[in-house]
Amino acid sequence: MSNVIHASHLTLAYGKGEKEVIKDANFSIKKGEFVFITGPSGSGKSTLLKALYGQLKPSEGSLVVGGLDLATIRQGKLQELRTHMGIIFQDYKLVNEWTVSKNVVLPLMIAGYSTEVQETQARRLLKHVKLSDYADRYPLELSGGEQQRVGVARALAKNPVVILADEPTGNLDDYSSNVIWDLMENACQQLDTTVLVVTHKIPTIFSLPYRHFIIESKGVYEVH
Amino acid sequence: MKFIKNHLMFILPLMAILLGIEFYLVFERTTNTYEKGLTEGYSMLVVTKDPVELSTFQALNKHISSSEKLKRDAIVSEVAKGVNKSTREAILTALPYFYNVGLDAYLHSSGLEKIKEDLETDPNIKKVETFGGSYDSSYKLFSFIKFTLKIFIVFMTIVSLFLIIKQMEIWKYAHKERMQVMEIFGAPMMLRSGVLFKVALIDAFFSTLLVSAIFFYLKFYWAGQSGINIMMENQEALFKMSDIGILFASSLLIVIIAVYSVVFSSKGVQE
Repeated sequence: MSNVIHASHLTLAYGKGEKEVIKDANFSIKKGEFVFITGPSGSGKSTLLKALYGQLKPSEGSLVVGGLDLATIRQGKLQELRTHMGIIFQDYKLVNEWTVSKNVVLPLMIAGYSTEVQETQARRLLKHVKLSDYADRYPLELSGGEQQRVGVARALAKNPVVILADEPTGNLDDYSSNVIWDLMENACQQLDTTVLVVTHKIPTIFSLPYRHFIIESKGVYEVH
Repeated sequence: MKFIKNHLMFILPLMAILLGIEFYLVFERTTNTYEKGLTEGYSMLVVTKDPVELSTFQALNKHISSSEKLKRDAIVSEVAKGVNKSTREAILTALPYFYNVGLDAYLHSSGLEKIKEDLETDPNIKKVETFGGSYDSSYKLFSFIKFTLKIFIVFMTIVSLFLIIKQMEIWKYAHKERMQVMEIFGAPMMLRSGVLFKVALIDAFFSTLLVSAIFFYLKFYWAGQSGINIMMENQEALFKMSDIGILFASSLLIVIIAVYSVVFSSKGVQE
């Protein structure tokens, strides 16, 4: 299987390289793998995720996602790469003035799909995350767990190559957390999507085989 | 209500800037006409030993546009009343040549002095009278009015720009979240800023329309009935159709700069 993500001597830092968060990290993640990244608070988990969706450029080494090196990528290519990613945030990052349905089809809207396709897909995705009755509601009318399901539906909208999730269940109760984990497991299993989840705690009930990386003292280590 | 308020908060300062631009255009046009009148009404007196052609004056200074020789016979008949013919001819022979010299522009008094100096370098020219005193006071008054209006326009523009910056902050607050989310999912800049552009373009259109309507009214209704001579004489200069283009282009430029500033300052994901 080909590598979807490959980091080689990767160093991530804020400012002009003054505040190193990750140093000389080497790892590869293949297509269809489910990966957990854990580590203590402030260890650089979210920073790594930011780098993976191109928000933070590597200060040294290379970070290749979908065949494109994020250290040297141009803005246009980065935009294109992001259209193949599904990103889930702890704070959901939904557009509050848009309906649930419009939030879900954002990736399709960006890709230029017709309104009919968007509507059909919105119905399918909302049914998938069990929010069919919420299509015309606004995010702030939903509970945290429901908002995160909208976030997952949005991430799945365009069958992404990779899903990046930053503490997706960090603000949720156990029931909502389990629903989210189920949805991500399904995406990985049924769509062969690579899923990379940053979390402080790996769920106890998890049926898929997964890889586990831990970030500690600026290094990224695989736990066997 | 909120919708109207949001639009007005951008339309009003934009209108103030456009009013400033239109006032400037109108003032430039009317003062150009006035300046032309002052220039045409002004001439300096040049006294020469021998007759001089216009080209000779122009070779001495490029601002000289016309020269009119005063009739010596008329001067002699005035100064030599009651003298006999031979004395009269003697006076005529001894009398120098007088020229009214016109200029191509309305110059500062130092400009007049420079022309005087240039003319006096020619040994054939005996005297140059610029009538600098009265000219200078008209020029100073005219320059003062021009300067005051320009200062007012600049001040109005600065205040309006601050109001626009304030509105940009409101835009940023209202649109940042959506633009950032769209950016994360790979939306190009035009798509991210589409909504904001639409709002701003509508505001630019209405601002141009309102300012044009004000000046349209001033030109076609108010000026004609005002009874103010300067307004009635300069009615044509009050508004031109080409001004609509200038106003719309200016408002578009302001809108594009404002929107792009908001878009660029909203880049990156909010922590």
